[in-house]
Amino acid sequence: MVKIGNIEINPTKIICLGRNYLDHIQETNAPIPTEPVFFVKTLNTLVTDNQPIIYPKILFENENLNRVDYEVELAFIIFQTCKNIKARSAFDYIQGYTIFLDITARNMQKNDRNIHLPWYRSKNFDTFGPIGPRIAPCSEIENPDDLVIQLKVNGVVKQLSNTKHMLFKIPVVLEYISSFITLKRGDIIATGTPSGIGSIIPGDVIEASIEKIGKITHEVILEED
Amino acid sequence: MKFGDKDINPSKIICVGTNYMDHIEETKLDIPKEPVLFPKTPNCLIFDKDPIIYPKWLYNNRKYNRIDYEAELAFIVKEKCKYVSQDNAYEHILGYTVFNDVTARKMQAKDIVSKLPWFRSKSFDTFGPIGPVIKEVNEIKDPHNLNIELRVNGEVKQSSNTKHLLFKVPELLEYISKFFTLEPGDIIATGTPAGIGPIHPGDLIETSIEKIGTLTNKVILEEEVN
Repeated sequence: MVKIGNIEINPTKIICLGRNYLDHIQETNAPIPTEPVFFVKTLNTLVTDNQPIIYPKILFENENLNRVDYEVELAFIIFQTCKNIKARSAFDYIQGYTIFLDITARNMQKNDRNIHLPWYRSKNFDTFGPIGPRIAPCSEIENPDDLVIQLKVNGVVKQLSNTKHMLFKIPVVLEYISSFITLKRGDIIATGTPSGIGSIIPGDVIEASIEKIGKITHEVILEED
Repeated sequence: MKFGDKDINPSKIICVGTNYMDHIEETKLDIPKEPVLFPKTPNCLIFDKDPIIYPKWLYNNRKYNRIDYEAELAFIVKEKCKYVSQDNAYEHILGYTVFNDVTARKMQAKDIVSKLPWFRSKSFDTFGPIGPVIKEVNEIKDPHNLNIELRVNGEVKQSSNTKHLLFKVPELLEYISKFFTLEPGDIIATGTPAGIGPIHPGDLIETSIEKIGTLTNKVILEEEVN
């Protein structure tokens, strides 16, 4: 159970898209996907507006692993159980939109990927999934494909894009994912990050905003013993 | 989720890959220096006697039409925990059960080669049969000496023993809980031995672990979507 603004949701899973903005694909030298690339974050990652992002000590103290990145993303929340839905009726299954930060232990992810390991542990430390500050209902956002999306670290703009640059749009994403798995009310789908990814360190203040939704603010703190 | 007489509410399913030497040899994967972890999502869970549904769009696609069984010992987390030491790992375990990590093998192989996540091939609905019961920790003194077997239509396909686990249950719990807070009911599957192979619609899969029991699931083809 997580309270986002004044709405309580009970997600069973968080599904994230990788490589869904062309500018981000270019900066990471990844191939352009022919179908959506998705992976999972688990519920232990979720924190809400103003809660700290905890930088794990086991990463901080290891010079091979001590890079943790922000990634700002538009997320949508599933309204009702669905499977094998068509893109044309996708919006019937969406409760609304919110902001999500896909915090990633970047060096660990790279090391794992290079030896063909899963993209899991680097993405799923506790607090690596800030979300909020509210769920904007579909009725407030008629076109989710034209929203300015921005992330600042200590007041400096690091990511600035628009959701119109998404490679796979929300209805296509929902049709694709629901051809694999049954989605449940409250499930969270994050749609990928634009270019400008970079690292965070303890003491940083991260502000992520999406037009018509709002802003989330998170301080990065080092995990205590 | 009702499990015999126990109700569990897992927030996550964490699977360990490549954790039996014989399976590592058959898949030609590297011997891991630390446990390899990947997730399955709760939509994959089904119980004893529920059908494994073979997705029609995999069945009809020659690039994807291989689905494999993988018999595994799983354990269930008892209470919320983080940074568990292997010395007291068993205090944090509710008990043991049988798990079948059903996998769309060709899709997984293709994704691995492309350095993509191991997720979609592992988490189709019904790709995680579990059961038939949870045997409590005090009923199984040594989880590392249990025969594990999988039969397809009565024919033995996997036959091994949990003593061949590369990373043992306490090490796994210590390792996993360094990364993630575990919640009561979370499921950890410890990996599969050698002998993996395909299933087809109509097959009857029986997965047994000594002292726990047998999990029986029939494979059926997904019906046409309306």
